[in-house]
Amino acid sequence: MAARTEHEVLATELRWTIAVVASVALISLAILWAGLVHFINPPSNLETIDPTKVHLSPEFTEANLGTRVDEGGRVTTRIVTAQFAFIPPCVVVPADEPVTLRLVSPDVIHGVLVTGTNVNTMVVPGYVSQVHTVFQKTGDLLMPCHEYCGIGHSQMWSTVRVVPKAEFKPGPDGRALCEKP
Amino acid sequence: MKSLERLTLAHLWTAFIAFAVACVFGLWQMLARSPIPTPGFTPSNYFISVTAHGAAMAYVLTTFFIMGFGYFTAETALQRPLPGKRIAWAAFGVGLLGVVMAVVPVLLGRASVLYTFYPPLTGSAWFYIGLVLVVASSWVWCAIMIVAMRQWKRANPGRPVPLAMYATVANAILWLWTTVGVTVELVFQVIPAALGLVDTVDVGLSRTLFSWTLHAIVYFWLFPAYIAFYTMAPEAAGGRLYSDTMGRLSFILFVLYSLPVGMHHLFMDPEHSTGFKFVQMTLTVLVTVPTLLTIFTISASMEFAGRLRGGKGLFGWIGALPWERPMVLATGLAFFMLWFGGGGGLINMSYGMNAMVHNTSWVTAHFHLIFGGTVVIMYFAIAYAIWPQLTGREAPSLRAQRIQLWLWAIGMMVMTLPWHYLGLQGQWRRVAQFDYANPIIAAWGSWVVVSVAGGAMLLASALLFIWNLAAFHRARTPVQAPFRFALAIHPPERVPASLNGFGLWNALVAVLMLVAYGYPIAQFFIHDRPVAVVHRVDGAQP
Amino acid sequence: MSEDVFREIDRPWRLWASAIVVGVLAFGCLSGFVILPVIQGYQAGIDPYTAICRSLGILPGSPAARQPVSTAPAAPVSQVSWGPSLIARLNKPDAARGQEIAASVCAACHGEKGLTADPAQFPNMAGQSAFAIYKQLHDYKSGARANEIMQPVVADLTDEQMADVAAHFAALQQARWEQTWVRAASPQVETIVRTGDSARGLPACESCHNPRSGGPIETPVLFAQTKEYLALQMQAFKSGSRKNDLYRRMRSISEKLTDSEIDQLAQYYFEQR
Repeated sequence: MAARTEHEVLATELRWTIAVVASVALISLAILWAGLVHFINPPSNLETIDPTKVHLSPEFTEANLGTRVDEGGRVTTRIVTAQFAFIPPCVVVPADEPVTLRLVSPDVIHGVLVTGTNVNTMVVPGYVSQVHTVFQKTGDLLMPCHEYCGIGHSQMWSTVRVVPKAEFKPGPDGRALCEKP
Repeated sequence: MKSLERLTLAHLWTAFIAFAVACVFGLWQMLARSPIPTPGFTPSNYFISVTAHGAAMAYVLTTFFIMGFGYFTAETALQRPLPGKRIAWAAFGVGLLGVVMAVVPVLLGRASVLYTFYPPLTGSAWFYIGLVLVVASSWVWCAIMIVAMRQWKRANPGRPVPLAMYATVANAILWLWTTVGVTVELVFQVIPAALGLVDTVDVGLSRTLFSWTLHAIVYFWLFPAYIAFYTMAPEAAGGRLYSDTMGRLSFILFVLYSLPVGMHHLFMDPEHSTGFKFVQMTLTVLVTVPTLLTIFTISASMEFAGRLRGGKGLFGWIGALPWERPMVLATGLAFFMLWFGGGGGLINMSYGMNAMVHNTSWVTAHFHLIFGGTVVIMYFAIAYAIWPQLTGREAPSLRAQRIQLWLWAIGMMVMTLPWHYLGLQGQWRRVAQFDYANPIIAAWGSWVVVSVAGGAMLLASALLFIWNLAAFHRARTPVQAPFRFALAIHPPERVPASLNGFGLWNALVAVLMLVAYGYPIAQFFIHDRPVAVVHRVDGAQP
Repeated sequence: MSEDVFREIDRPWRLWASAIVVGVLAFGCLSGFVILPVIQGYQAGIDPYTAICRSLGILPGSPAARQPVSTAPAAPVSQVSWGPSLIARLNKPDAARGQEIAASVCAACHGEKGLTADPAQFPNMAGQSAFAIYKQLHDYKSGARANEIMQPVVADLTDEQMADVAAHFAALQQARWEQTWVRAASPQVETIVRTGDSARGLPACESCHNPRSGGPIETPVLFAQTKEYLALQMQAFKSGSRKNDLYRRMRSISEKLTDSEIDQLAQYYFEQR
C-alpha cells in the first residue's frame, strides 16, 4: 500500500471510500427497488385499540376470532395473543391466496412468527398489528410467541393450518375453523 | 501514576468479574434450551438467569470496562494527570452501589424482566434505580473525559488531540446522547410504575425511547475495540497506523449514524409508520461505512507492519506478522468474526429480510458474534496489553493468553453458527425450554447440542482469562517497556477543527435525531394513544 | 501552528459534511414518504394523499393494502374492564364500607374472617386478590358467571361497593401469599405447577397464579383455597359450563388436564398454607 506521503495515503483511502459509498448506495437502491416492485413493507399499522377493552370490542370478541372471508372474498384472520395463549389456538388459512392477519394483545408485549414463512410481527398492547401475506407451503406450521411476556412465555404457541385452496371451505357465515387441532 | 492504576484496576476487575459470572449463567441457559436435562431448571429460574446474564454483560461489563479504559487512556495518551480523580472514585462507588441494588432483586426473582425491561411488565424499583445509578456514574466519566481533552487542548494550542483520546471523547459524547432515551424511559415511565405511583404505561412510547438507546449502546460497547484497532494493534504488530485522519473520520461517523437508526429494532412493531422505518433504514445502511473504512485502514496498517518485517508478495505480509502477540492475534480473530457478524447485520437491517429473522436465534447469534466475538475479544486484548502497566509486571505466559483467545474465538463460532442456522429455521428467542417431541423442533436438537459445546468452550475461556489476569498480580518479572499508543505513518501536524472537536457533529446529530425521532416520539403526545395496565413481577398487585 | 489554521482548513469540511448528511436524509425522506407510498398505494387503489399520510403515520394502515373491516357484533364473556379509575378504587378502597358489606352480606357463607363456613360449598376469601374478587362479583351481576346464590346477593351492589368489599377480603391474611415454595407430592404435579408442559401448551400454574409472576390482572390466589372449590371450577371450565375467563385462559388449560390431574392440583393448592 502506497504510503510515501500523507497525500498518497489519503488518495488511497479516498479510492476505497468511493468503493464503500458506491456499494452502500447500491444496497439502499436495492431495498428501495424491493419496496417498489415487490411491495415489501414492514408491518406498520398504527391502528389503536384500548388493551383493557379488547374483549369488549366487536372485532376481537372471543366468538369472532379466527379466519373469516368477507363479502369481497378477502381472507382475514383475527387472533388475540394473551398471557400465555393464542386465541384461537389453531387457525386455518388457504394456500396461495392473500391473507391478512390481525393480532391484538390485551395485556403485555407479545410477538409472533410463523415458522418457514416471512410472517413476523410484534404485538404491542394498544395497537392492532397487521400482516399481509400469502402462504405457499401447506401443512401445520408453528406460530409461537417470540417476545418475552412472562414466566409462561415458553408454553405460548399455536398452529397455523395452511390447506390447499380447494380444501378451504368457510361456512355460510364466512368463518373457517380448525378441525380438532 | 499509582492512583490512576488503582482506579483503572477497580473498574476493570468489576467488569471482568461480572463477565465471568454472566458466562456461567449463559452456559446454564443453553443447557436449559437443549434436549439435555438441566439441574435446577424452572422457567422462573431461567428468566432470573437471562436477566442476570443480559444485565451483567450489557451494563456492567461494558460500562465499567469503558470507564476504566477511558481513565487509563486519558492519562496515558495525553501525558498529563487525569483531572477529578476523586470524583471518578466517587462515581465508581455510585456505580458499584447501583450494581448491587440491581443484582439483589434479580437474584430474588423480583425483577425477571430481562435487561430490555418490556413494560408493562414491571419488576422491583431497586433494579431500575440501580441501573440508573450505573448510568449516572458513567455520565461523570463522560464529563471527566471531556474536561481532560479541553484542558489538554488549552495547554497545547495548535496540536491535534491524540487519536486515542479523540476517540474516547467521541464515545463519551455518543454515550451522553445514547443514554437520554433509556433514562427518560426509566425515570418517567418505568420507575413510577414500579413504585406504584402510576398503574398504566404507554408501551409504544417506552419501546420508542428504548430503541433510541438500543442501537447506539452497541457502538458505545464497540468503541474500545476500534480504539484498540487504530491505536494499539499497529504498534503491537511492529508498524504504524496507516492513516490518522481516517481514524478520526470513522469515529465521527459512529457518533453520527449510530443514533438515528434505533428504529430498526422496531421494524416489526405496529406503532411506527413505514416512512419513518424507511428513513431510519437508509441511515442504518450508513453505519456500515465506518466499519468498512476501519477494516481497510487497519488491514493497510498491518500490511505496512508485515512488509517492515520482511513479508513479500500479495499476501506474504500476513504470514510475517507477529501472531504470537495477543493483540495481533486478537485483531485477526476479531476481524474474522466481524466478517460473519457484519454480514448477518446486513440482513437484519433491511426490513424485508428482517421479517425472516426478527426475534429468532439468528439475532441472538448476530449480537453474540459482533459483541461477544469482535468486541469482547478486543477487551481481552486490551486488558493483556495494559495489565503490565497497571501491575508493573510482565505476563508469566503469553501462551496461556493465546490459548484463551483462540478458545474464545472458536467457541464463539461453534456457538453462533448453529444459532444462525436455527434462526433461519424459525427457532424463536427468549424461551426457557423447547418441546423436543414436536417434529419441527426435534430436527433442531443436534444443532442445539453443538451450540452448547461452543458455550462450554466460552466458559472455559472466560475462566482462563480471569486466571491469566490474576497471574499478572502474582508475577515477578518487572515490566520491560512502558505502554504507548501507536503513531500514524505520517502523524498529522494540523487537522481541520472539525476533526479535532465535536461541535459540528453534535449539531448534525441533533438535526438527524430531530428528523428521525421527532415525530415518532411526538405522536404519542399529539394523539391520544391507549395505555396498558402495569403487570408487576415483584409481588405487588397493581 | 495555531487554532486559526485549524478553522481555516475546516470550512470545506463543515460544508461537505453538512451537505452529505442532509442529502442522505433528503433521499430517505423522499423515498420513504413520497416515492414508495405513492407507487405502492397506486397499485393497491389508494389515493396518493392517504398513502402519504399512512407512510407518515398520521393515518392508520399500510400504504400498500386496503384495511379490512369487521361487521360482526360483540359478544363479550365478561363486562369487566381494568380502567384506571377502577384500579385506583381497588387500591384505595373505602375500608369501612367494605367491612360493613362483608359483615352484613358475605359473612354467613364466607366467614367473618373470610374463611369458609362450609368448604364443600363456599370458597375462602381471606387474602384473595381484590382484582379477582371484584371481577367475579361483577360477572355474577352481569350474568357472565351463573350462580343461583351469588346472583341475587350482588344484584344491588354498585361497582364501588364491589371494589370496597373485594379490597376488604384481600386485606385479610395477606401474609400467606409468601409461602409459595412447598414441594408438591408427585413429580407430575410439580411439573404442571412449576415448569409447565410445552408439548400440551400448558404454561406452569405458577406463571400466572404466583402473585409475583406479572400475569393477568384478574388472576386469583390459589393457596389455601378449598380443594372442593378448586376442583369444581376446573371441571366447570373444562366442560364449558363456566366461561367468564377472558380469552379462554382457564377453559383451554382445563381442557388439557385429566380428571386425576385436576384432583391432584386442587389437593396441592389446598395444602399450601
